[in-house]
Amino acid sequence: MALLPDPVRLLNEAASRSAEAALALAGRERVRLAVTGLSRAGKTVFLTSLVANLVAAGAGRRTLPGLDLGEGRLRRARAIPPGVEATPRFDAEAHLAALAADPPEWPARTEDLSTLSLSLTLRRHGLYGQFLPDREVTLDLLDYPGEWLLDLPMFLQDFAAWSDETLARLSTGIRAAPAAEFLAFARALPANAPAEDSLARRGHALYRRFLLAARDELGLRFLQPGRFLNPGPAGDAPLLWFFPLPEAARGSPLGELLERRHAAYLRDQRDRFLDPVFRRFDRQVVLVDVLGALHAGREAFDDTAEALAAISGTLRYGRGWLDLLTGGGIGRVAFAATKADHVPEVSRDSLSSLLSDLVDAPRRRAEIAGAAVSVHAVAAIRCTQEATATHDGRPSPAVRGVLLENGRWATVDPGLVPARRPPESFWHAPYFQMPVFRPPGLDADGRGGVPHLGLDALLAGLLGDAL
Amino acid sequence: MSETVPRPPRIILEEEAGPARLDHAWEAGTEPLAIPSVGFSTLSLLAIGVSALILGFSALAAGNYVAEQFTRAAWLGWLTLAVSLGGFGVIGWAAVREFRALFRLRQVDAAREAFARGDLRSAKAHVLAWAEPIPLAAAALPALREAPDLPALRALLEAGPLEALDADARALGRVAALQGFAATAISPSPSLDALVVGWRGLRLVRQVAALHGMRPGIVATASLLRRAAFDAATVAATEVATDTAVRAIVTNPLIGHVVGEAATGAVAARRLITLARATAAACRIVPRDRM
Repeated sequence: MALLPDPVRLLNEAASRSAEAALALAGRERVRLAVTGLSRAGKTVFLTSLVANLVAAGAGRRTLPGLDLGEGRLRRARAIPPGVEATPRFDAEAHLAALAADPPEWPARTEDLSTLSLSLTLRRHGLYGQFLPDREVTLDLLDYPGEWLLDLPMFLQDFAAWSDETLARLSTGIRAAPAAEFLAFARALPANAPAEDSLARRGHALYRRFLLAARDELGLRFLQPGRFLNPGPAGDAPLLWFFPLPEAARGSPLGELLERRHAAYLRDQRDRFLDPVFRRFDRQVVLVDVLGALHAGREAFDDTAEALAAISGTLRYGRGWLDLLTGGGIGRVAFAATKADHVPEVSRDSLSSLLSDLVDAPRRRAEIAGAAVSVHAVAAIRCTQEATATHDGRPSPAVRGVLLENGRWATVDPGLVPARRPPESFWHAPYFQMPVFRPPGLDADGRGGVPHLGLDALLAGLLGDAL
Repeated sequence: MSETVPRPPRIILEEEAGPARLDHAWEAGTEPLAIPSVGFSTLSLLAIGVSALILGFSALAAGNYVAEQFTRAAWLGWLTLAVSLGGFGVIGWAAVREFRALFRLRQVDAAREAFARGDLRSAKAHVLAWAEPIPLAAAALPALREAPDLPALRALLEAGPLEALDADARALGRVAALQGFAATAISPSPSLDALVVGWRGLRLVRQVAALHGMRPGIVATASLLRRAAFDAATVAATEVATDTAVRAIVTNPLIGHVVGEAATGAVAARRLITLARATAAACRIVPRDRM
């Protein structure tokens, strides 16, 4: 994290890392996997599928054939029983039961942090390894509201810089219309605006209304601050009552109040979200709903790319000695285009190529820093099968599944998936809302794992060296 | 890419109603690889054949003899019949005991499979059947009956009967090691050492099995030894290191000079402890989490 280091915390981290390194030498390793993704990218479903398939693989099922766990090397995988943690527990069983229920339900929008640790018991490689005790790898997983992720770039800016950048973004393109009321209010504030709470709350309410419309109606993702969209369990609080303020009113008593609240918000997010989530992790998977962004239009697509670049710009990649000591560096990164089952098999390579193009800047940054980077197209839960649709009398590859809303079978031709950023002509096609499919028939207790696409290849790239 | 408008996305609703959920046949496709059973081994077939010939011809000969005796005198016939029935009855009883011991071993396998499958009902039934004849498990029976799920069932077993059984098996191993060491220290020849340790090892396997509610005969002991050999691979992780260390120390020329023949006894004693642990692991109704 490119934030000012706290010396005491650095020392604590170094001490804790040294203890972990000693444990790793004794065959007790800890791998922290950060599942990163913008809102509705499918983090919760990804984690549910990951847990179910690893636990099933630990029971001998071949749910992850691409992961080198052959010949029963993964002897056991189980969720570590809860201890005295203050963070809520990620309830993979409940999510799986809801997906298997009749009628099925996809996980609701994540409202709070939750964690889960998996214990993987692995037989060692090689002949001599057979004479040593099994390895025990602890895999720490974490789920959180995707909206909060966009708070990361805010830590690099003060209130003035954040206000300028946000207001500039609001004034252009498709954002301008829904933001018009807020912009009119903010620009009308005088240079000596009083620190009147009704003004602050009115501005906050208008700005929040814009954020909700931009997320839900325009499909935009680069929306800050995250807790304005998803306040989490703490709910509404006075520290949230701020908004980006034009330069003219920033020196006013109201401007000072908003600046104090902005600083308090960042402090609170650091304690509540940043430290528990992004303080230490060594693997990162970045989930991106590329197809959703592509179908939502050019601005939504560019917005997704911009949001991903901004988030990645705040994370520290690489495995230098300082990183290893303080646990700050990310050694392996996997970018994944989710919902790959929504496109036919022939288009999946294009989907991952498109993602590769979309995340080109953060990918290069991570590679230059020495992190191992891979790009994948995955479906954490496969909801469709291959099909053929006829277009102007010519067959074209498509997918077929059961629609969630009415239980009817439908064949969906997702159209052309470009292998790189599409040209201008691509956006002339009308915007398209991909239907939501029903999950396939699942075992309610999840012991058989969950049908997926490419999850094993992603895990091989991300965790292969640790397993 | 051309500058023409690409093929637009489309949704084509199907008129015919289909199943409510898509079925990928995932369960069947991810089944664990089953190694096909090779059936009876050649040795087993030989043993069955030889046993059938010996027992069958003995029974036929005994029947003929009983019939002959009846022709001589009725009382002589009845007496011969009683002796024959008594003899064959004892042999049959021994066979039943062997099969029961083997059945107990199969029950351990079945319970382990049920745990792996996640089948609570089956696992609980096997666990209860396994635990009932074991005195050390009596106190845990009510809790085992009420276990709500597999993790709880496993935890109750681990914390209750299995912990006590493991401790007792370790104690038996230590006693056997001490006896083996003492016997080799005073034995007059190395060949006798091997005999003493071998016999003590067999007795130890039967003692540990008896602790787990089994009364193994020859066949069941052989089966148990074979299982123990496999499970030893997992138990031996730490044991091999210790064994190697003991061997390295006691076979050091200087120390060897001092302790003399007791060196081999120490290695043998160490092995008896390993054998106790391996046998306990083989009899365990759930495999150890870690060794």
